[in-house]
Amino acid sequence: MNILETRNLEHEFNGYSVLKKVNLEIRKGETHAIIGPNGAGKTTLFNVISGMYTPSKGKVIFKKKDITGFKAYKIQRLGMGRSFQITATFDNLTAFQNIRMAVLSRKGIRFNLFRFVDKMNDVTTETINVLQNLDLWEACHTPAGMLSYGKQRSLEIGMALATDPDLVMLDEPAAGMSADETHTAVSLIKKLTKEKTVVIIEHDMDVVFSLADRITVLNHGTILATGIPKEIKANKDVQAAYLGRLEDE
Amino acid sequence: MDKKTRWMFWIAGIIIFAIFPKLAGIYYSNIVVSMSVWALFAVSLNMLLGFTGLLSFGHAMYFGTGAYGAALALTHVNGLSFFSAMAAGCLCSVVLSLIVAPVVVRVSGTAFAMIHLAFAQCMFVLALKFRNITGGEDGIGGFSVSHIRIPGLFSLDVTDPAVFFYLSIGTVILNLLVLWFVIQTPFGQVMAGTRDNVKRIEYLGFRVSHTKAVVYVLAAGSAGVAGAVSAMHQNLVAVNDAYGMMVSVLPIMIVMVGGARSFFGPIYGAVFFGFLEEYVTAYTDKFELILGLILIIFIMYWPLGLAGIFLKLKFKWLTRKQFLKRSGGGAG
Ligand SMILES: Nc1ncnc2c1ncn2[C@@H]1O[C@H](COP(=O)(O)OP(=O)(O)OP(=O)(O)O)[C@@H](O)[C@H]1O
Ligand SMILES: [Mg+2]
Repeated sequence: MNILETRNLEHEFNGYSVLKKVNLEIRKGETHAIIGPNGAGKTTLFNVISGMYTPSKGKVIFKKKDITGFKAYKIQRLGMGRSFQITATFDNLTAFQNIRMAVLSRKGIRFNLFRFVDKMNDVTTETINVLQNLDLWEACHTPAGMLSYGKQRSLEIGMALATDPDLVMLDEPAAGMSADETHTAVSLIKKLTKEKTVVIIEHDMDVVFSLADRITVLNHGTILATGIPKEIKANKDVQAAYLGRLEDE
Repeated sequence: MDKKTRWMFWIAGIIIFAIFPKLAGIYYSNIVVSMSVWALFAVSLNMLLGFTGLLSFGHAMYFGTGAYGAALALTHVNGLSFFSAMAAGCLCSVVLSLIVAPVVVRVSGTAFAMIHLAFAQCMFVLALKFRNITGGEDGIGGFSVSHIRIPGLFSLDVTDPAVFFYLSIGTVILNLLVLWFVIQTPFGQVMAGTRDNVKRIEYLGFRVSHTKAVVYVLAAGSAGVAGAVSAMHQNLVAVNDAYGMMVSVLPIMIVMVGGARSFFGPIYGAVFFGFLEEYVTAYTDKFELILGLILIIFIMYWPLGLAGIFLKLKFKWLTRKQFLKRSGGGAG
């Protein structure tokens, strides 16, 4: 069963077409990697699906519901969470407060002006749990803007996951990380997304092949191929457009 | 601070508050009242600026509307008490904010700042234009606030400066407590999140426009209370002191000097500006020039304002105390 589908999805910026007839199918429970060269339109695809932009044409179907043109907050509430390629955390708030925001959201506490947030023990407990899972417990009182880059990325992933979404969209979670940090991040993602559907954009082929059940290759805004890792590795077009070029480098 | 010292602190505060008008006299009581009015006004602005990341160049529109609301209510309705007049002023500001909220919550940054400049200017012109209602440049004054009575129990004469001191300071503190509480709630966290990263807060499922609207109305209502208290304090509302450019700019300065990141920062700022006005105007009439210079110094050297300076001093003091304790323990 598909949890997410796009139907002939198109998007253009000022007449310049970035996505062309994209038909993506994400099955419930799978980890689906999206790969493709820089500028292929991967992030734009995420943005159009998750409600940052309304697509120029086509449809986005999430959990059998047409969510085309929905605002981001609404899509999130339907159970889609995402992380960003460029870290988007609350820089002046501590790691604890960052995660707590996600926990509040998960619990649907959005307009409570009547209780001390520090005295909501269930929220605090849950936040501590998440921080421990993310290995951010020691840094919990540090403002997010002052964390090391690796920790900021963990926080970024954590924020997407702490709302407990059914579908998680991760945009290059390991971008800019060292080999060690990448390794940690991958095991973190594996650990935290066991029961979830994951769509992940990633450049690092080792990460992709170690995480993904299926892979979609995007090039110049069109889908070149979709399949299990073995098929993708063997695909001639993909090799020509992407993998081959990487190996040449 | 443990529980006991906190209690002592509160009790001391209440005692000082109770004896202040007797001790310091009418003149200084009046200064404290106007400081507290500015403190509330600046804190209400800082709910937008420091805590939600929205800079308004026209917050005077709510101060002024509160002032006119209270003054007009007192002029046209007989026997209105301090609290009813205040409620009337607050209500006028809230209604105005509800009218413009649908527009202003859609914008942020420069657009938000400038749209408020325009709105405040509109209010200024309207107040001048409808001279028969507002009294134009001369304003409205000489309204009488009726005594607060509980029949058979007591009757408070609001024209007594000491009584006015208690009422206005009490009102301001109550309003400040409400705002302080809001900061501590989950909603306060969402405000801070909106300030730090709109995109992320949206992607966590929070509705930015609604969050902004609620803070906006709260800030407007509080500014209205400040305006109403000010109107009754001066017993006069004139267009320049209600909607004038300086009425929008001064709270921004107070917030910058006091410290936008702290809830109490604007209160420090208001006290600082109060003293400054008191002493500087005795020597020179170039008050605005001095203000400008001070603002520049703060922006360049102490961007966290007085609140930041106090925090640093407190931290130094605490580490010193700890150090002394430790070295003392070593010697023993
Ligand atoms: N907001 C925007 N306005 C105009 N053009 C944009 C915008 N966002 C992206 N583009 C353009 O759309 C194309 C696709 O960008 P996108 O960020 O989706 O690529 P990507 O596949 O995520 O690349 P990368 O691997 O570098 O992250 C690029 O040519 C980019 O310049
Ligand atoms: Mg990208």
